[in-house]
Amino acid sequence: MIEFNNVSKKYDGASTYALKDVNITINKGEFVFVVGASGAGKSTFLKLMMREEVASSGSIVINGVNLNTIKNRDIPEFRRSLGIVFQDFRLIPNMTVYDNVAFAMRVIGTAEKKIRRRVPYVLSLMGLSDKGKNYPAELSGGEQQRVALARALVNNAEIIIADEPTGNVDPQMSYEIVDMLMRLNEAGTTVIMVTHEQSLVKCFNKRVITIKKGVVESDENAQIGESATAHLNAASEIANEYVVPPDEDYSAYVSRSEAPAEDADSEEAPKGGES
Amino acid sequence: MGKLNYLTKEGFRNLRVNKLMSFASVTVLFSCLMLIGIAFMLLVNIDAFISNIESENVIMAYVNDNASSVEVKKVGLDLEKLPDVSQVELVGKDEAYKDILSDMDENLKIYLEGLDENPLPDAYKVTVGNMENFDSVVEKIKTVPNIFRVRENSSLAKQLANTRDSVTYISIGIIALLLLVSLFIISNTIKVTMFTRRLEISIMKSVGATNSFIRWPFMVEGMVIGVIAGVLATVAVWLVSEFALSSLTSSLSIVGASVEVNFIDYALWLALAFVGIGVFTGVFGSATSMRKYLKERKFVELED
Repeated sequence: MIEFNNVSKKYDGASTYALKDVNITINKGEFVFVVGASGAGKSTFLKLMMREEVASSGSIVINGVNLNTIKNRDIPEFRRSLGIVFQDFRLIPNMTVYDNVAFAMRVIGTAEKKIRRRVPYVLSLMGLSDKGKNYPAELSGGEQQRVALARALVNNAEIIIADEPTGNVDPQMSYEIVDMLMRLNEAGTTVIMVTHEQSLVKCFNKRVITIKKGVVESDENAQIGESATAHLNAASEIANEYVVPPDEDYSAYVSRSEAPAEDADSEEAPKGGES
Repeated sequence: MGKLNYLTKEGFRNLRVNKLMSFASVTVLFSCLMLIGIAFMLLVNIDAFISNIESENVIMAYVNDNASSVEVKKVGLDLEKLPDVSQVELVGKDEAYKDILSDMDENLKIYLEGLDENPLPDAYKVTVGNMENFDSVVEKIKTVPNIFRVRENSSLAKQLANTRDSVTYISIGIIALLLLVSLFIISNTIKVTMFTRRLEISIMKSVGATNSFIRWPFMVEGMVIGVIAGVLATVAVWLVSEFALSSLTSSLSIVGASVEVNFIDYALWLALAFVGIGVFTGVFGSATSMRKYLKERKFVELED
């Protein structure tokens, strides 16, 4: 559970507030989009959540931890409950995919034996089982972001914070990544995804918090009656909107999203021919 | 245990990954330590040299010729009681006379032998413990009864004391300066390493690695650089001092002062000090540069 109570943030030397009187409650297991233009205060929102910045006023409580009063030495422990995914992936180029994911466990002192069990499992969740020995540069943008996601998950994060995770990948991959986040969410993880891509957000029937000039402009809950159908509609909308490369196994992908097989077929055939 | 193993391995990996930088810092630190070692050996040698001259620089106190043997002994006891006097040695008139005769040319001896009586007085060789107080010792000797003349060379003594002081100060100054430079070098290396690995650090911070966990590999790196440079510097100083001594002793023997300061006597201490300095600068250098780095470097640098 994440609670922002009247949170304002003003940076040293700044004349205006980066965030002003923000009141947000995000419950465990929610999926929330945080939308806003550049400079709206999204990053500040994230930084406050990660306790990289401290609120100027108001209080922030995450999973029972009060970020205003947390001691410096307790911050690392707190951050282990968060899984952070960055726009630029932040994978270490001279480490294999396996080592990149294992790195997150090693640096918090996990035993190697446990790492050897856990990493392959998380990689398989992300559909990266056969990529363990590859280096990040050998992967596509979407795959790299999935590695980053695997790394965020490997320590059993309760909350996934994704900062523009689709910023550096093509539109089709964007859908794939959001879908991946959805599935994590269905498994019980709270997901907060920051993005400026309104069109992408519209495809998914989820809560959307819009930040504008440091103020929460709107906080719209998911439409009532959220169901597989809504999800499906979103899927086909995306499929219509974006060109699917012929070598991508899109049908398998859609079937995971519970799309009818014929739907996928009808989409793929003409698109594949075009590109 | 596994953790420590991993962290140490990471430290060595840092060194390997930054081969050129590690090599550069080992070289520069080695040079600094070598200079420190040479400055130290110079200090030790000059000190030994001066002590050697000082030990020769004695005060001759001549006893009144008409003093009885009891009085002569009394003078010796009085001299021993004086402060800052480290040694008192009686040079009897007969002994001194024999010495002079044996040193003399045969022709000159005849004149002396013609004398029916030994013309030399009894004398005391007084060695001063602390050269700084040379003058006051001389003054005090003059007040001892039955002393009729004091022969000394106070200007030389003063010069020696001054030289020793300035040599000590200059050496300490040089050593301190070089230590500072070494510290700067190591912390700089660590800073560069940290800069090249800022991505890893940002990830470490974002997944909740503790600062000490982030810091440890860099400390290991600094320590290893320090130890390698320390060992190399010890060997280098040894070679330099052996070479310098062998060429110096021959020229010094002309002056009459042969100084024997063996490097081996100091080797262990020097090696320990070097490795200690290396480890200290490594740990301290990385700790200070890290602290700044960890504080300033945010793991999210987002464009809002």
